[in-house]
Amino acid sequence: MLYLIGLGLGDETDITVKGLTIVKKAARLYLEAYTSILLVDKAVLEQYYGREVILADREMVESSSDDILHDAQNVDVAFLVVGDPFGATTHTDLVLRARALKIPISSIPNASIMSAIGATGLQLYNFGQTVSMVFFTETWKPASFYDRIRENRNIGLHTLVLLDIKVKEQSLENMARGRKIYEPPRYMTVGQCASQMLEIEEVKTAEGEGGVYGEESLAIGVARIGGETEKFVSGTLKQLCLADQELGGPLHSLVLLGRRTHELESEYVREFAVSKEDWDRIWKRDYEGKQ
Amino acid sequence: MVNFTIEEVRALMDKATNVRNMSVIAHVDHGKSTLTDSLLSKAGIISAAKAGDARATDTRADEQERGITIKSTAISLYGNLQDDEDLKDIVGQKTDGRDFLINLIDSPGHVDFSSEVTAALRVTDGALVVVDTIEGVCVQTETVLRQALGERIKPVVIINKVDRALLELQVSKEDLYQSFSRTIESVNVVISTYFDKSLGDVQVYPYKGTVAFGSGLHGWAFTVRQFAQRYAKKFGVDRNKMMERLWGDNYFNPHTKKWTNKGTHDGKPLERAFNQFILDPIFRIFAAVMNFKKDEIATLIDKLNIKISPEDREKEGKQLLKVVMRTFLPAADALMEMMILHLPSPVTAQKYRAETLYEGPTDDEACIGIRDCDPKAPLMLYVSKMVPTSDKGRFYAFGRVFAGTVRSGLKVRIQGPNYTPGKKDDLFIKAIQRTVLMMGGKVDPIDDVPAGNILGLVGIDQFLLKSGTLTTSDTAHNLKVMRFSVSPVVQRSVEVKNAQDLPKLVEGLKRLSKSDPCVLTFINEAGDHVVAGAGELHLEICLKDLEEDHAGVPLRISDPVVPYRETVTAKSSMTALSKSPNKHNRLYMIAEPLDEEVSKEIEAGRITPRDDFKARARILADDFGWDVTDARKIWCFGPDTNGANLLVDQTKAVQYLNEIKDSVVSGFQWASREGPICEEPMRSCRFNIMDVTLHADAIHRGGGQLIPTARRVLYAAALLAEPGLLEPIFLVEIQVPESAMGGVYGVLTRRRGHVFNEQQRPGTPLFTIKAYLPVMESFGFNADLRSHTSGQAFPQMVFDHWQLLPGGSPIDATSKVGQTVQEMRKRKGIKVEVPGIENYYDKL
Repeated sequence: MLYLIGLGLGDETDITVKGLTIVKKAARLYLEAYTSILLVDKAVLEQYYGREVILADREMVESSSDDILHDAQNVDVAFLVVGDPFGATTHTDLVLRARALKIPISSIPNASIMSAIGATGLQLYNFGQTVSMVFFTETWKPASFYDRIRENRNIGLHTLVLLDIKVKEQSLENMARGRKIYEPPRYMTVGQCASQMLEIEEVKTAEGEGGVYGEESLAIGVARIGGETEKFVSGTLKQLCLADQELGGPLHSLVLLGRRTHELESEYVREFAVSKEDWDRIWKRDYEGKQ
Repeated sequence: MVNFTIEEVRALMDKATNVRNMSVIAHVDHGKSTLTDSLLSKAGIISAAKAGDARATDTRADEQERGITIKSTAISLYGNLQDDEDLKDIVGQKTDGRDFLINLIDSPGHVDFSSEVTAALRVTDGALVVVDTIEGVCVQTETVLRQALGERIKPVVIINKVDRALLELQVSKEDLYQSFSRTIESVNVVISTYFDKSLGDVQVYPYKGTVAFGSGLHGWAFTVRQFAQRYAKKFGVDRNKMMERLWGDNYFNPHTKKWTNKGTHDGKPLERAFNQFILDPIFRIFAAVMNFKKDEIATLIDKLNIKISPEDREKEGKQLLKVVMRTFLPAADALMEMMILHLPSPVTAQKYRAETLYEGPTDDEACIGIRDCDPKAPLMLYVSKMVPTSDKGRFYAFGRVFAGTVRSGLKVRIQGPNYTPGKKDDLFIKAIQRTVLMMGGKVDPIDDVPAGNILGLVGIDQFLLKSGTLTTSDTAHNLKVMRFSVSPVVQRSVEVKNAQDLPKLVEGLKRLSKSDPCVLTFINEAGDHVVAGAGELHLEICLKDLEEDHAGVPLRISDPVVPYRETVTAKSSMTALSKSPNKHNRLYMIAEPLDEEVSKEIEAGRITPRDDFKARARILADDFGWDVTDARKIWCFGPDTNGANLLVDQTKAVQYLNEIKDSVVSGFQWASREGPICEEPMRSCRFNIMDVTLHADAIHRGGGQLIPTARRVLYAAALLAEPGLLEPIFLVEIQVPESAMGGVYGVLTRRRGHVFNEQQRPGTPLFTIKAYLPVMESFGFNADLRSHTSGQAFPQMVFDHWQLLPGGSPIDATSKVGQTVQEMRKRKGIKVEVPGIENYYDKL
């Protein structure tokens, strides 16, 4: 049996009781560690579970899934995923491959960023499509997220923006040479995300397709959600560009408010505001009572 | 004999209208360096007595020894016109006074070094094309002439070694005239083939004064204009009219005392004016001197008003002939006059060259500065090559100021060939330490140099590999990167004999690469240091330099190795598919052969990634039968973003396609640099992206996902399209007497050579054989040929094209080609078997 077990968002103790039972008895334990990370080390997990955990990086999951699935018809293999196994990150491909090998599958859900984001005080009902923000390079600035946000904003919904992490990536040169040398891990911050969003807004405006959001659009920066040190900062996109210090270490996410924000939502979020004055002024001007 | 100071030279530089930048170009052994020497005698650098055998521009010991030029060398000369009358003959351009500065570059004639010629042509506006009277227009004459015209450089011609025709072949006057006329005609055929509207008609004609005749070795030369000047007074006609009469079918009828264009009078033949008035005195001097007729010599000398010192009069035979002819018709006078009158000044030339020199828009400040040759505009300077200094490991950057003024201490932007405006790649901002004037082997410091002149720069060699643009304008694009007509198709790997010398070798390779425009040095897959050159000789010289000079340590050198190219010979039998590692993205592609014609155009730089895509699409559609829609959707060229492989987008309405373009292009560059068969570069392949399935979110389709996938699908498509291996082929031109021709054919046949042309040079027993010879088979060809023809055959080899290696499929290990592939893979230290398609093709 292949078990896909959600680990939740915070630390080792977020695993469900059901999950822990399986972890204790499974033949092999894999920890998927590239689409998201837990706020604690692998060693802490191992100590808590009282057994060894194999770290599965992207290469292993994508290129040598056979190792993971080996003999799973007969023994139990647990594949640990930070958050929920089918939440923000989809491991459908692994499941498809297991299916092809006639391996029975079971999944144990857990909290995901997709649900935990409710802690910002925004109602989950009012979220539109989720988008992700990648690290821009000189030549690569994918802007398709902009159209998704446009669709969300057109009907007044919030947008959850997930931020890129690069845990174990090769540089282009090393990839071309086939060298397994990896770059140091990088995690995108709310500040980087906000400024990239504004950069694309500028480009789109220049192309005559802009106006979806702007420097004064309200948003919430979120850090380490679900952990003990979770932190929220709200303000305009421009203010969030400079909020990294206040938010602290990874992981970060960002929510762009839709105009259909409920009064109660605003009241909740304004507590996190960089400047309550600005928040109230802009909320009154652009959001209050808009349908 | 003018001795000039740096101050005088500097003063001349300011008058750009009176500057002539010119290169001397020719086939090997047609006498460029010797001729250049006779010019130098006039400028006072070497004495007249030594001219003819000093070869001042051959500064290297091996150049002197081998008697060939290897590196191009620059020298500034001072020239002046005798008479204000002469100024009137400078047509179509302004002139300021009778003093002229001539910057002359002597370049090598051997094909292996023609990259040096390219570098020389870039910084000059005119070319003195030297042609041997006896050998005529040879393969390298044609090559350099074509290169010159491509750079919009105006040619004048000197037919050299006329003394040999007189002394060795003993031709008659009419035969000599006919031979001249034929040679000029063949030069003009080449010129008119490469006709360029902006440059205008630059064919050469003796009666216009653009052709000179002479002997570099003896130090004499003349133009029809010089004789016209003498006779114009005597006949009392206009000089220009006289010039026309002294060439072609013009005769002076002594009976009627009238000019006519009929060759007979009363049934008796008349003597051609050229023969009668120009060749006759020369023939008489030769006859008199060589037959030791003292009295006749004396009369002739007096009659022709030749002033010779009493001790020279005592000389005999060839020595006397040299003195007489040199005083009668000094080569320097004829050449100087021809260059000053007929070659363009930088002011004139840059008007029509600006657009071909500059990569940016034609209306920005940099281009306007170049067009106007404006010393006050922002600096635009092109460094065309690096010249080693006496300080080991350091180089002068040699180049030309096209706009602005360069001086010591000036802070400039140093833009390498890969610089793109607005980016910071390949860009340095540094101060120029010193500016110098290059004088053959010597240099002289100079404070500053204005637009239109050639110079050397100290202190920027660390920032440029071989060539590049220097500017003071932040917005300036590059001056166009040079294209070389030769390719580095012969490789040898080198290793040190003593392991501790390795760092010296690495440093030496860097220096070697800097000092030669065409040499390539790199580390191959197996970790060997490889040096690649244009031919055996070129490589030999490079390796000698490396061992003795640049690295200075004993080396072990491998047997020569030939690079191959991977290609496809058919359309992929089905659409190739590869999935990204996370399986969320799928790429579908098809490979097909690219037209050989298109590949050649790309390699010649006539179709480039920098073209306007609409204009390029038009050319592809009109001239090569492409579908216009396809032609407009060329994503990129590869490898190295300019190679002869194309990636074409044929998808219909795919969302997010532009967001993966970058990754796919990177994968394409990677795949085309190292093909699927044996990791050699691909060539002449066209890849069509048929369809693409993508994950909606950018995070799941980044470079990590798509670059390897693009490479795999390209490999799969290529393997499905009947892959083939291309080998480089030399064009060989061999001059050989009839008696030794059998030997030539024998050697060629044994080496898979294929003769496609055989011609006798009229009036000589020499035959010119042209053949194609695989580079693979060319090693030791020279020696083999020499031994089978008793040393009578002289081959010139130059890379010509790529050709499919016959003998089966490269993926079939039992075929001959398959064997070659396996050997190559073994040498590279990669798995011997070619990886099968299952490694790259994913099933749906």
